[in-house]
Amino acid sequence: MWYEKAGKDTDVVLSTQVTIMRNIKGFQFPSRMSDADRENAMGMMRQASGNMGFNFIRCDEMDESAKEDLFNQYFCKYGFLNDNKKTAFLLGREDGLGVTLNDKEHMAILSFTSGDDVVSAYKSAESVAEKFEKEMEIAYSDKMGFLTSDIRYVGTGLQISFLAALPGIEKTAGALAILSKRAEKYDWIIKPILQADGNKENGMYELTSVATLGVSESEVVEHAQKVIADTVKLERSCRVNIYKKKSAIIEDQFYRSYALLKYARRMEIVEAISLLNWIRLGRGQIRDCDAALDWDNINLITHRVRRDYKAADSRGKRSPSIASDRAAGIRKILNEDSERG
Amino acid sequence: MRCERCGAPIVNKFIRVNGVLLCEKCARDFNVEDPFRGSMATLLNQPFSVLGEITNALMTGGNELDFANANTKIRCPKCGTTLKDVETNGTVGCIECYNTFNETILKDILKRQGAGDYRGRKPGETAEIKAVSEKPEGEVKAKKAASKTPASTEEKTPAKKAPEKKDKTDILEKIKKADLGTIDDSDLEEAMKLAAKNEDYDLAARLRDELKSRKGEN
Repeated sequence: MWYEKAGKDTDVVLSTQVTIMRNIKGFQFPSRMSDADRENAMGMMRQASGNMGFNFIRCDEMDESAKEDLFNQYFCKYGFLNDNKKTAFLLGREDGLGVTLNDKEHMAILSFTSGDDVVSAYKSAESVAEKFEKEMEIAYSDKMGFLTSDIRYVGTGLQISFLAALPGIEKTAGALAILSKRAEKYDWIIKPILQADGNKENGMYELTSVATLGVSESEVVEHAQKVIADTVKLERSCRVNIYKKKSAIIEDQFYRSYALLKYARRMEIVEAISLLNWIRLGRGQIRDCDAALDWDNINLITHRVRRDYKAADSRGKRSPSIASDRAAGIRKILNEDSERG
Repeated sequence: MRCERCGAPIVNKFIRVNGVLLCEKCARDFNVEDPFRGSMATLLNQPFSVLGEITNALMTGGNELDFANANTKIRCPKCGTTLKDVETNGTVGCIECYNTFNETILKDILKRQGAGDYRGRKPGETAEIKAVSEKPEGEVKAKKAASKTPASTEEKTPAKKAPEKKDKTDILEKIKKADLGTIDDSDLEEAMKLAAKNEDYDLAARLRDELKSRKGEN
């Protein structure tokens, strides 16, 4: 899985996502398409992707483990996999690359990298988009750019977003406002992440690009790099500051969280995420720390906890068996980590 | 600066209503009593405010209401999407919708992004992607300026000879097309004055905003 790889700035940035949306000329957008049209369009896209090295999988023929895999890697939403609306997925040979077919748009090319690496994520998404543009007739106008069903994306059809853990900024008065203003200057927004049941994931934020018209792709990528550099800088200084002022509290919370993650037998998603963020606040700052923890492993646990197909399958209902599986998964990663350390 | 209601750039007059920045036209729609002149009605504890409302309604609000009602019935001839669908869901049904609801879509885009022209790559082309170096901003800027001197002097020198009438419109056209980030402060200020003299308030407002944001940065 792409998020098991090491990345850059992983103490703050968990992942980079680039989405490029494209539609085929001659068809209505998926929300208005008949089943026959969906089949037709899907066939055309499958044919066009023939020599790009993709693995074509129809969602209605997918088995549960494949669905779980795609969901856990952030590629597909639960509804997309299970609604039986003639949807399909193209899985790339490269890690973290895929295309959803017939979702909100005909094609949504998705490219993920672990940590902060927007340039390579963009390049691999663009090369796929470019090939599709050469193979098929894409909905495009000189004035409006690439036409999409969702008018938020018309233009470049490009959205870049980062998943970041910002417990330091969240716990510093006024820091979030400063960051949002910074982001606004580059036409970016920053928003907290909510679980399906409406619970907030403490300390987790999503930074997303807004502009698709009036900017070129290279500008969006450039802004992305600036926004995330500012974010990382601010978050790091906030963490140092908090530790300087409240070292006793941070140390206490760090060890409590570590113990809970390492020994708890049942764990809920929201609880695990706020424990992990206490660990992020203390990690690297506590001297003579005997709890060995790797940033990549902290992030790996966060991803595993956040994207849990079984939890999504239970439709938000709490189930003891899922909670105990989750706790066991966390314990396994932490134990491997401490054995190596 | 842009109106937070309709997204139009605010050129010379703006007003804040409950903390929302509005242009002259939207302020009227909101029935702000005489927003731009010292209002007689407020002075006299508003005995004539009814009159003001009626004139406002006659001038803009009333007409626009009728117009809006007629608009909601518009349907895309190809896929049957209505204007209401577009406004509530933010999605369209087919390519033709972009012609049918052009105005609404553009308004929405302007409101969110403040720009309406496509500047991205064409189908099948590759975009030039540069990795931003992590050096402090000042250094990067200085380097950029140094590497661009031959090109930028061409742009800048005419701006300094602004008083020559012939060139005025040419220079303004050039500045309109140029990336404002590459022009330095003094030239921007000069260009702003020139634009104001030439009654190109749109450009002047843009330059003013750029200058303001730069001062904010420092």
